[in-house]
Amino acid sequence: MTEEALGGDAADESLGLTVAQLEALLFVAERPLHRSEIAQLAGVDRELVDARVGDLEVSLAERGIRLVASGDSVELATAAEAGLLIARYIGADSPRLSGPSLEVLAIVAYRQPCTRAVIERVRGVDSDYTVRTLLHRRLIVELGRSDAPGRPILYGTGFDFLERFGLTSLEQLPPLDAEVAGRLAQEPDDDGPGEAGEGR
Amino acid sequence: MESNASGSATGRSAVGSALPRPAGTALVRLGEGRSDAATHVRIEDFDGPLGLLLALIESRQLEILTVPLGSLAEAYLDALAAVPGDRIGSVSGFVAVAAQLILIKSQAMLPRQHAPVAVSLETEPDPEAELRARLLEYRRFRDAGLALGARQARWRLFRRDTEVAASSGRAGARPPARPPLPVSTLSVALEGLIRITPPQPLPREVMTRTITLAERIAVIRAALRGADAVVLQELLGAVTDRVVVAVTFLGMLELCKRREITLEQAQPWGPIIARKVPAANAAAPTDGRKIRREAAR
Repeated sequence: MTEEALGGDAADESLGLTVAQLEALLFVAERPLHRSEIAQLAGVDRELVDARVGDLEVSLAERGIRLVASGDSVELATAAEAGLLIARYIGADSPRLSGPSLEVLAIVAYRQPCTRAVIERVRGVDSDYTVRTLLHRRLIVELGRSDAPGRPILYGTGFDFLERFGLTSLEQLPPLDAEVAGRLAQEPDDDGPGEAGEGR
Repeated sequence: MESNASGSATGRSAVGSALPRPAGTALVRLGEGRSDAATHVRIEDFDGPLGLLLALIESRQLEILTVPLGSLAEAYLDALAAVPGDRIGSVSGFVAVAAQLILIKSQAMLPRQHAPVAVSLETEPDPEAELRARLLEYRRFRDAGLALGARQARWRLFRRDTEVAASSGRAGARPPARPPLPVSTLSVALEGLIRITPPQPLPREVMTRTITLAERIAVIRAALRGADAVVLQELLGAVTDRVVVAVTFLGMLELCKRREITLEQAQPWGPIIARKVPAANAAAPTDGRKIRREAAR
């Protein structure tokens, strides 16, 4: 609602975009905003939005509020070091994830976008249930469909994943071994020595 | 022949060729780590076959890169035999890896004439190197998952959203001063409350009220006993039950038919006036005709 109302005004003239304006917008939005959405609201170029997002990220680096980025969307969230304090205030205690769930999450996080076949090939076991559970908890999201035969669903992570694990972007994921990191770039997703995981 | 085999392995998987196969060690070390009764690995703890195999390796403090995987076949099959029947759905993956282990073991045991390194079939990649690569890859993601799991409690981010606001600050909520009471305490307290509360009287049986024509006719007659004329609407002034109204009206028609009363209604929805018919005129045949149909609706 708020964005629509703003959009009505912003469509006519450019409002410019300062770091403070961007911060205020994200503060009110209460949801992740796409960079192009911000550009349209403010009537400015996408490049300016990117620059201001970078400036805001730097200026918030030492603050209690941080800029979180996933894909081309950004949002404000509390700093990771305040996590325990906020959780105590809210009185919320999210259930801990099981070992299989964490495995699937790690595979999706590092290899996204990836299909369920990729997950099952790495784990060597049917992962349908785990994937559905993580989808339900929004820790993984559907990113679209692969062009591979059968057009399997591609999974990735979203803001809920970043927030859950205290990351402001996927770049903050601890690096995997160099060997695996090298393979991520090379190997196609949908074939490989995975008879145990793919045959079903 | 040897170069052919390694060439096909390279083409298939970058890691397969990058991983050093423990050349020449397979036959020598076969049998090590087998029948190790001190290490018990329960299959229930593992979601997948690679997790089980990795646990078998780690429980023996062996190294993935060097352990002859065929030597683990027996321990793996022992663990697999302990699978409860209701987990058959996930067993196929376990069996596939078991078959791979047995293949590796059998290849390691077969006498080879040319070179001990050439375990692999000529047209297929080395199954041991392949399984080893899968184990390594699985371990990386398992460890990455464990690292994520270690983060999840302490380092959570919170976004400002209405859910948080509603459940906390705006609602005036405070974190609980004490840990919540155990359910058993609450149920005991609730049982005490139930005992204090006096037992409620049981509800009487609900019966449908029956309104008879005779009853309502008696009412009309009683009303006409004291007066010459009665207005139906006045007679029913305090009545709210539609059935009573309808039956009273029917009673009035019945009395009219019996020529005890005459009925008049000047206009639709107007007052319906019932008059006693003098006993002498009781036989007059036209009395009933003054009823307006509209009044019935």
